[in-house]
Amino acid sequence: MAEQYKLIHPSKYYRDYLNVNIRPDGREFDKLRPNAINVGSITTADGSAIVKVGNTNVVCGIRAELAKPKASTPDQGFLVPTIELTPLCSPKYRTGSSNEDAELYSAALNDILINADCLDLKKLCIYKEKLVWCLYCDISCLDHDGCVIDASLIAVIAALRNLKLPKVSYDAEIEKISVDTSIRESIEVKSSPVSTTLMVFDDNVIITDPTAEEESLSSCILTIAVCNGEVCYILKPGGTPFNSEQMDLCIKRALAREKSVLKLLNNVLK
Amino acid sequence: MSAVLVPGEAVSEIEEVAKTKKVVLGPGLRRTNDSVLACKAGVLCKKAPNMFWIDSYQRRYVPVRGECVLGVVTQKAGDIFRVDIGAHEQACLSYLAFEGATKKNRPDIQLGDLLYARLVVASRDLEPELVCVNSHGKKEKLGVLNDGFVFNCSINLVRKILNKNCPLLQALQREMPFEVAVGMNGRIWIKAKTMRETIAVGNAILATEFVSNDDIRKLCENIGNILFT
Amino acid sequence: MGSDTGDDAYSDIHLRALNCEVNPLTRSDGSAMLTQGETAVIASVYGPVEVKTQNLQIENATLDVCYRPKTGLPTITDRSRENVIKRICETAILTALHPRTSIVVVIQELENRSGLEACAVNAVCLALLNGGIAMKFTVAGVHSILKENDEIVLDPDSKESINALAHFTFVFDSLQRNVVAVNTQGKFNMAQYNDALTICRAASGKIFEFYREIISKRPV
Repeated sequence: MAEQYKLIHPSKYYRDYLNVNIRPDGREFDKLRPNAINVGSITTADGSAIVKVGNTNVVCGIRAELAKPKASTPDQGFLVPTIELTPLCSPKYRTGSSNEDAELYSAALNDILINADCLDLKKLCIYKEKLVWCLYCDISCLDHDGCVIDASLIAVIAALRNLKLPKVSYDAEIEKISVDTSIRESIEVKSSPVSTTLMVFDDNVIITDPTAEEESLSSCILTIAVCNGEVCYILKPGGTPFNSEQMDLCIKRALAREKSVLKLLNNVLK
Repeated sequence: MSAVLVPGEAVSEIEEVAKTKKVVLGPGLRRTNDSVLACKAGVLCKKAPNMFWIDSYQRRYVPVRGECVLGVVTQKAGDIFRVDIGAHEQACLSYLAFEGATKKNRPDIQLGDLLYARLVVASRDLEPELVCVNSHGKKEKLGVLNDGFVFNCSINLVRKILNKNCPLLQALQREMPFEVAVGMNGRIWIKAKTMRETIAVGNAILATEFVSNDDIRKLCENIGNILFT
Repeated sequence: MGSDTGDDAYSDIHLRALNCEVNPLTRSDGSAMLTQGETAVIASVYGPVEVKTQNLQIENATLDVCYRPKTGLPTITDRSRENVIKRICETAILTALHPRTSIVVVIQELENRSGLEACAVNAVCLALLNGGIAMKFTVAGVHSILKENDEIVLDPDSKESINALAHFTFVFDSLQRNVVAVNTQGKFNMAQYNDALTICRAASGKIFEFYREIISKRPV
């Protein structure tokens, strides 16, 4: 019966669980799903990571290319995160057509990386006005079970910390680029932001780290990124209006998550 | 003038009245639990003893049962005509909904014809349906409108000129003879003797949107003086 | 139609001058051109109109929001603005009143001298009010920045916002002044966030008053 009940009245089914202070997957409201990180698994990429947040599974590969800097920022390289959501990860996406969710997630990820000041883009400069590194962070979502931004952010940070760039020298006089792949150096990742996605059910219950099923029932989804105890990104695009206490609670939950994720990251990248 | 309301505001005046008797909430007002909230911006109006509504500015028509509208026939589909009345959906009109129409004796309606019809079904969940007869099967003033001139205006203007206290149509009548059909969907059809007069009537109607009743009379006299001197 | 005169309760709150032209577009169902200081946005609303079958919702009106930048094609930033405004409208509009229809909101950026998102939200709200769309509440967007020494500057112009450490854009509802939407840039701590929130919340009152002023000036 439970299956049919869930199918016919998804909200009511969910509400029944929440009334006894538990979620259908056995978590409490503020409990996170287990995370797993694996770095360097894609050998063809310059840096890579696979991250699991519960069932959500994303792969990030960093492809480093040499590029000419923009005239407005002649001594800065580029960091370009792109999230790809294919029908592989969720039936709600279709092949081919441009995907709004993917665009929005990529924009959010880019904002977080800039706000948290993760990389000194000047360090990606090889020769001013002539040659810089362009780091394409391609993130592919294999399984979408909610909180793709959170998983993607962990994956990008892990991949950046795993990244090893070959030695490149540039001779300005003869405009010659010489790449020495035998020497590879990692780059300095200045900070590791951690984001947390929360949702609101029935305008009053705040739930951390929702699954895709929970996200579809939500009345509001917000994402908060923190970095060294400071908030570096809040995006609440409409939905249930929040009073100050609710917002504080969300920020506190986001701050609490940072430590555990960083510990895991440091362990893996040791 | 009564209070200006903004969406989300509680209307305590109505709540007071509701304590002692039943109240009727019109457009722009809604009830949640024990409070009455405004959901449109405008002026609170009251018709004694217990009717309330908000007079708000609107250009888009939302069908309401029983209202007379002007529509254009856009499609003939089997037994029904599709009529554009300016709402979110085309209204349907059965060919039997005309005076004297039978299965054999179909009314002569062409695509592009202008109709003055009454809404008999207008619910947010159903397709709006029109008829061109009253409940006794008589056509009265409904039906196809020939010749003349149609123009669009805001819904407020229509309400204003149809208001009993509005002197516009009477004042205009005094100046020249003309026919007029006012649709609650913000469309007005007029027919006068000459093109000059038609345009004068049309402009007079459009000009009354933001004019007080006294000025309307003056305006009509002016038009008469200009036209016939 | 300027509103630079605050009453006593808000006398220490200074927003840039608000100016609004009601229904500047003759063909749309409701429109508003709003300038806040030198930032200018024009918003227009159609609705409820016919919905595309693919976007049809059985129980609610579908919202279709389109944000047009000043020049060129919409960028990813514009898409996220569009998304935020869409979600805000979904929260504010009583979409259940017009099922199987669509409400189209078009926003044209005219000039961005900081505080663009807030100005766009306010312009959309005014357009919805002018279009006679039924809403649960009105919304007001307020922009502020964080400067050195924990100083919060409310609704700065483009010159003031050059050295900002962080930007905050809050959108409040008119009922409890709760936060409908937030968007931030830059790093800040909770105390700074709460300072900005308090100042912006107080300032939202001025915007709600401005809405009322605009509506009462409109002849009905």
